[in-house]
Amino acid sequence: MKFHHINRRTHLYLALALLPWFLIYGVSSIPFSHPRWMGDRYEKDGIPQWTVKYEKPFDLPMTQPGRQREAGESILRGENIGGAFGVMLQGTKVVVFQHTFLTAMRLTYDSGKKTLTVEERRFRWDHFLTGMHARGGFEQASLADDLWAVIVDLVCLGMIVWIASGLIMWWNLRSVRRSGWAAIVTGLALFLFATMRL
Amino acid sequence: MYAVSTMAMNHRVLLREITGMEAPRFVPEREFSYDGGMPEPGNILALARGVLMAAGLDGAHGIGRPQPDGRVVIQRQDLITPRRLTYIPAERKVTVERMIYSTPQFLERFHRRRGFQHAYWLDNVWAVTVDLVIAALILWVLTGLWMWWELKVTRPLGALALAGGLAVFLWFVFNV
Repeated sequence: MKFHHINRRTHLYLALALLPWFLIYGVSSIPFSHPRWMGDRYEKDGIPQWTVKYEKPFDLPMTQPGRQREAGESILRGENIGGAFGVMLQGTKVVVFQHTFLTAMRLTYDSGKKTLTVEERRFRWDHFLTGMHARGGFEQASLADDLWAVIVDLVCLGMIVWIASGLIMWWNLRSVRRSGWAAIVTGLALFLFATMRL
Repeated sequence: MYAVSTMAMNHRVLLREITGMEAPRFVPEREFSYDGGMPEPGNILALARGVLMAAGLDGAHGIGRPQPDGRVVIQRQDLITPRRLTYIPAERKVTVERMIYSTPQFLERFHRRRGFQHAYWLDNVWAVTVDLVIAALILWVLTGLWMWWELKVTRPLGALALAGGLAVFLWFVFNV
C-alpha cells in the first residue's frame, strides 16, 4: 500500500469518524458569532429561563473564598445531584451551576436566610449548542467529563491531521496547484494582517 | 489556529501551572495628561473613545463601570498586546498598561475574538471571516459525505467509522 493511498484513506475515515464533532463545532459557532439571532427569539416568548423546583431550609458552614468548590460539592451531594458544575460566591450566596449537555440546574444557598433554592433551566437550542462548543477541560471529577476532554484533544489532533493530509492531497493534484497557492496565500495574508492589526 | 487554541483551552489549568500565569498581568507603559471631565451615564462611551484617540489606540474596547472617584478603566482589545487604560479625572491623566505576552492567553483571545459588536471595520471583516469559516466547516462535512459516497469501495469501512463516531457522540450527549 502506497503512502498516498494511506494518506487519502486516513483523511477520509478520520473525517467520517469525527464528523459529528466537526459539524457541531461549525453549527455551534453560529450562536457565538450571532448571539442575538436565537437569543432574542427565546427572550421574547415570555417563558422564564429559570423555574424554581423547590426551596428548603438549609445550613452550610461558612464558605471561604477559594474553597467554594468544596461547598458546591457538598450542596450537590446533599441533593443527590451529580455531574459537571461550577460555583460562584455572590455576597452571602453560594451559587452552584450544574449542567449536562441537555439540562442545567442552579442551586442557590443563601447563608443569610439559611435556605437552598433549586431551579431548572428551560431547554434552549442556543444554550445546547454553545454548551457543546464550550465543554472541555479536565477540571471536573467525573470520568465521563475527562473522556470528553480526551475526545476534544483527539478532534483537535484530527483537524491538524486533516489539514496536513489535505495539503499532501492538494500537492499531488498538479492541475490545481496554482489556484491552490492563490487560495492559501490569500487566506494567510488576510489572517496575518488581521492578527497584527486586531 | 482553532484546533491549537482549543487544545490550549482544554489544558488551561495545566498551562497556567507551567507558565505561572494565573491571570493576565499588566506592566506600566506610559501616562499622559488628559482632561475629559467627569464620567456621566450619558457620556461614558464618548469619553472612552476620546481617551483612546488621545492615546493613539482607537479600536475595539470594553469599558468598566466608573469607580466612585470617577476613575474609568478601558480594556483595549488586541490579539497580541491588549492594553488597559485608566482615566483618572481627579488627576487629569491617563495611565496606559500593556499586558505581558503569554501564548496560551494569546491563543484563547484569538479563539474568542468574534461578532459584530464593535464599531470598527476590521472587527466586522474579522467577524465575516469567522462566518466564512463556519460555512466552510459545514460545507466540508456535506461535500466530504458526498465524496465518500461516490467512492463505492470505501462505503463499508466509512459507514463503520461514521456510525462509530456518531454512537460515541450521542452517548455523550445523552449521558454527560
